[in-house]
Amino acid sequence: MQVQALRGVTLQVRKGEMVAVMGPSGCGKTTLLNCFSGLDEFDSGTVLVAGHDIAHMPDDRKTEFRAREMGFVFQTYNLLPVLTAVENVELPLIVSGTRPRVAREMALAALERVGLRDRAHQRPAQLSGGQRQRVTIARALVNHPSIVWADEPTGALDSQTAREIMDLFVELNAAEQQTCVIVTHDPKVAACCHRTIQMADGLIVREDSREAMQAVAALGGGE
Amino acid sequence: MNELFGVSMTVIAAVCVALTAVIFLVMAYIAWRNPVMFKLGLRNIPRRKAQSTLIIIGLMLSTLIMSAAFGTGDTLTSSFGSEVYSILGETDEWISWDAQEHPAPREAQVIPIATVDEWKQQLAGDPDIEAIVPMQRETLPVYNTRTRLNEPSARIVSFRGDDAAALGGLRDTGGAPVALSGNGIAVNEDLAEQIDARVGDTLQLFYQGQPVEFTVVAIVPSNVLSGAVDPFAMRGGTVDFATFVQLTGRGDVADSVLVSNVGGPRDGLQRSDVVTERLERLLEGTPYRVVSLKKDLVNTAELVGSAFTAVFVVFGLFSIAAGILLIFLIFVMLAAERKPEIGMARAVGAKRRQVVESFLAEGMGYDLGSALVGLFAGMGVTLLMVRVIEHFGGDSLGLNLSVQFTLRSMVTAFCLGVIATFLVILIASWRASRINITAAIRDLPESNPIDPEASTWRGYYRAAINGIAAFSLPVGFAFFLFGPPGMALGLPLALVGLITPWFYVLRNADFAAPRSRRTGEPLPRWPWLVGLFVPVLGWVLVLPWYAIAILLVRLTRDRKPSALPRWLAVAALLVWPLAFVVAMLQNWRVRVPWTAATAIAFGIAGVALTYGGLDRDSSFFFLAGVSTLFLWAAVTLRYFGISERLAFTTTSVLLLALWYVPSSWLERVTGPLNGDIEMFFLSGIVMVTCGVFIVVYNADIILPALAGIGSRFGRIMPAIKTAVAYPLTSRFRTGMTMAMMGLIVFSLVMMSTINENFSALFLSDEARGGFDVVGLVNENNPIDDLEAALERGGVDTSRIEAVGVARVANQEEVEVENRDGYVNTDEGEIAPFSRIKVFGVDQGFLAAQELKLKFRAAGYDTDEAIWAALAAQPNLALLPADATVAQQGFGGGNNQRLRLKPLADGFEPFTLDLRDPGTGEVVTVTVIGQLKESADTFFAIGSPDFSTGLLVREDTLQRAFPAARGEMFFLKLAPGTDSEEFAKTVEAALVQASADSLEALLQEQQRQQTGFLLVFQGFMGLGLIVGIAALAVIASRAVVERRQQIGMLRAIGYQRSMVALSFLLESAFIAVSGILLGYVLGLSLAWVLFTTGEFFDESESVDFIVPWLQLTVIAAIAFGASMVMTVLPARSASRVPVAEALRYE
Repeated sequence: MQVQALRGVTLQVRKGEMVAVMGPSGCGKTTLLNCFSGLDEFDSGTVLVAGHDIAHMPDDRKTEFRAREMGFVFQTYNLLPVLTAVENVELPLIVSGTRPRVAREMALAALERVGLRDRAHQRPAQLSGGQRQRVTIARALVNHPSIVWADEPTGALDSQTAREIMDLFVELNAAEQQTCVIVTHDPKVAACCHRTIQMADGLIVREDSREAMQAVAALGGGE
Repeated sequence: MNELFGVSMTVIAAVCVALTAVIFLVMAYIAWRNPVMFKLGLRNIPRRKAQSTLIIIGLMLSTLIMSAAFGTGDTLTSSFGSEVYSILGETDEWISWDAQEHPAPREAQVIPIATVDEWKQQLAGDPDIEAIVPMQRETLPVYNTRTRLNEPSARIVSFRGDDAAALGGLRDTGGAPVALSGNGIAVNEDLAEQIDARVGDTLQLFYQGQPVEFTVVAIVPSNVLSGAVDPFAMRGGTVDFATFVQLTGRGDVADSVLVSNVGGPRDGLQRSDVVTERLERLLEGTPYRVVSLKKDLVNTAELVGSAFTAVFVVFGLFSIAAGILLIFLIFVMLAAERKPEIGMARAVGAKRRQVVESFLAEGMGYDLGSALVGLFAGMGVTLLMVRVIEHFGGDSLGLNLSVQFTLRSMVTAFCLGVIATFLVILIASWRASRINITAAIRDLPESNPIDPEASTWRGYYRAAINGIAAFSLPVGFAFFLFGPPGMALGLPLALVGLITPWFYVLRNADFAAPRSRRTGEPLPRWPWLVGLFVPVLGWVLVLPWYAIAILLVRLTRDRKPSALPRWLAVAALLVWPLAFVVAMLQNWRVRVPWTAATAIAFGIAGVALTYGGLDRDSSFFFLAGVSTLFLWAAVTLRYFGISERLAFTTTSVLLLALWYVPSSWLERVTGPLNGDIEMFFLSGIVMVTCGVFIVVYNADIILPALAGIGSRFGRIMPAIKTAVAYPLTSRFRTGMTMAMMGLIVFSLVMMSTINENFSALFLSDEARGGFDVVGLVNENNPIDDLEAALERGGVDTSRIEAVGVARVANQEEVEVENRDGYVNTDEGEIAPFSRIKVFGVDQGFLAAQELKLKFRAAGYDTDEAIWAALAAQPNLALLPADATVAQQGFGGGNNQRLRLKPLADGFEPFTLDLRDPGTGEVVTVTVIGQLKESADTFFAIGSPDFSTGLLVREDTLQRAFPAARGEMFFLKLAPGTDSEEFAKTVEAALVQASADSLEALLQEQQRQQTGFLLVFQGFMGLGLIVGIAALAVIASRAVVERRQQIGMLRAIGYQRSMVALSFLLESAFIAVSGILLGYVLGLSLAWVLFTTGEFFDESESVDFIVPWLQLTVIAAIAFGASMVMTVLPARSASRVPVAEALRYE
């Protein structure tokens, strides 16, 4: 049986923009993110990132492109448990060919930006959930990507830590014009973004402004 | 094959079948009582087909090794047995002169035919004896005038036709009776093949140099009636008795008398004891003796089969050990994979026991499948091994090998496989069941509950008490090694040990809870069921002790003292059975640190083993005990908070150092210690374990260096980084796999290196002794002037540079006494006279030889001085290299041929008495040197019985043993002469002599040795399958475990190839570490053994050789196969769909 996860979706994200994607479970949010980021294949359509059509790139080039131009933040952190925080962060740089010493400096700088310079040599198991997610953000930002894809970045965190993480996203966006697409269930997270795309049954059904989402969040939506 | 390690195979089979039946009963009980958990376990098997296949391949190895070892034993027993029945036919006993009790000149050692006829009359009505056949025998040269082919040593026999009628008479190969008269000869198949004889051919038989012509009247099967008795000297024939008597001029006498029991060739054997006893009574007071020939040879066949099986089982122990590690590893990994499921099952009410049962069900599914596959695979391996043995060593065995499997052996192999796997699965399942439910459901790392007594002496005391109590049975048995004092100490412990397992079963049950907490749950019933339904074992070993345990728990559960009396606490540490009393009086709800407890029990057993080893002069027990003590030390250090790295590295390094200490040094402290082939296994296990500890706890130190190398390769650095990081994080599975690879490589490296060095020692060019051709002269036809005889025969003697002759007194013609008691080692337990061959060499030999000496007596500084002394003086002797007792230790055997302690350079010359058993005359010789091993080979390789002997001058031998008729000759040829061709011309020229090229003989010896090495290496190499399967299992498991991480790596830019490379490198890291470990340990131990006098008396005669080519091949095969097996998992890791993997949980 074939299931059509996305049906004729068109989305444009401007540089420096923070966009949230919301919708009920199974509506296709994560699939949208995976397709846009080149993690998943799709049958037809085009994805242009910084002018590059990743839909038609061979796998190796697409992988290289991801390493250079994209950052990822996942709900379950997805850090390598056997590597330290700094080693996790420097991985995308090393795979894209940066010299180890330079990669280490950049990774430490990225950890500095997320406030974890002093935890650089600890392994994920020795960090709290919020700290792990910060390491993930540092890893996503270390190569100064064109865009950061975040799939439920606060899903596994308590509300206080979730707020801190979103503050970090906002801060980075404001300071570095970092483009972000964030898939979330949480209107408070969406309220931090410039606009929110609402999805249902594989379709984009609505687009809400930051103010609209802030109003929803203020009313306690999503809690 | 009826015995293994001295235990009857029937007993072994019965015990194995009984235990297997118990296992099946237990499983049936589980299936009946707990069908859901049973099904839960079984249904896991088809979930991952590839993984299940790998598991079955890995698990089958124990059964495969056993069935291959047993199959080889069965084959050899049956082939040897068939050969015995075929050669001896109806003959069961053999009567001959008793030269040992009644010394007499050789020509006098005969039985008059009249005497035999008297015996026949006396035994005429005997219900057990069918026939008595007196027989005359001579070893004569035979020449076929048609084909011009000859055999210098054909066994020609003759007997009266009427006598042999009762044995079925002489029959040709078609079964037709053969009647001999006049100068007719019946030639057996082996002789006919050698000289290409056909019916009607004229043969010349040479006696005292004179040819007598015979006509071939029939070709007969090779058996005792046609001269074939010795499987290594089958060529022979039969002639008419009257003609033979006339030829030899020996009159109506027999050399031996054949006796046939009533019944066929096989059935008659059952009467052998009765008939032998009757014949012994008949022969009382005569100089004759009876030998139960067939029975002895059939027993020898059994022994050969058992010995081969034992050797294969010992060599297979490495693979079996590796297989057990694999089974454990697999089940620990399966448990890790199922952790959330187990946690959920526990959460909804499944008990630990039920989790164990579920795992057992799954394990038994694999177990049965693998035991069956292993059984048949083992049979296949047997076929292969027998073919290889036959190809390389068939002639040297003197057998036609036909593969045979007995039902008993195969059932035993199957049951052993089932039992071994079941036990390991039971332990692994028990370990898997002890999980924290919350952590398991959330798949979090296991955290230990906080133990307030951890790292304290109080906690250690608790560990000690419970360790002693729980392991009383094995610890008690370990004390049995002490002899009577140990029995006194061990017996009470062993008796306590029969109760304690049940105490620990009950300790955690509701029945043992204090009154306030008891819920009234019934007692565990399964011990009752096992006790009732397992005949004898259950009644004796389970029921009474379980009942006692129940009673003791019942008495103590509510009667705990608030504090233990101090005297009792101290006494329990001194009087170990009291530990159980203390364990019962302790609070059972306080956690027992079982790791420390087990280590303490091992430590105590280690003390017992060490003491037992010293008491019994056993290297095995001593070093096993000391090694166990080191393990105890490591765990104790760890218990008291010393870091794992420090605790395990330090103890491992120290223990390794101990294993490298030459036994001669160790023996200064311990006194003499004996070791044998079992030390090979023990050294491998202990040294590889130490090596693995050192590597897994310290490899992170070399990581920066590796990463540094990786950085030079730019983009593969991340692959290297993750490849090394993962194995070091999972120390358990990495260590286990490394140990499996290391063990097998260790065994292969040791075997290759030792073989290579022995070859160099025994089969080097030195073993030609400066000569090119060796010849053997028929003893009835001596050659007075060899060169003249060769010239007469048309041999181009100008090619001969030197001729040496050695007269030979065979060991039955010689008695040697180490009279002056110079170095007796057996305290008079062995008869004063030893039997050893003596070679008497002539001046020509002494002038031309280039033999090497191992040790020279005081006053002889060089080999030349020794040879010059021999040439100048009579009554001097040289010992063969194998005459002295090798130093004790690793592989030292007890060579008590002359009961001499090892010599050393500059030893004081000492005397030996050479006594002629025929005349009782004694000649005393002085030993002034000992030949090197290569010289032993020189003499042995040209001798028909492949034995070594004393070396004296020819005139000395003739004075000591005037009746000795053996003769060998050695030719040194001009450079460039083809020795093989020349030997053929010599053989053609001398009808009474055989001749061989020494180079060709050495090459053949090498070839056979290589063949046997190949068989052993192939057999031991089977263990590599385990290591490789382990790597594949780990890699497959890693793909599943790290699916999400793989997705993330791919998301952040890892190419597919990089993911695959990372997995391959990970396996490579483990494989290379294991291979290197085996390499370094195996080579270094072999070096220590060869250069410190472990195998030989002194190091000076040994140059250590490393067989680099063989070792490279071994490493390449091990590494290559590991990589091939990892390719599939690596490939599947690289193809993990990124988005799906990121969602994977």
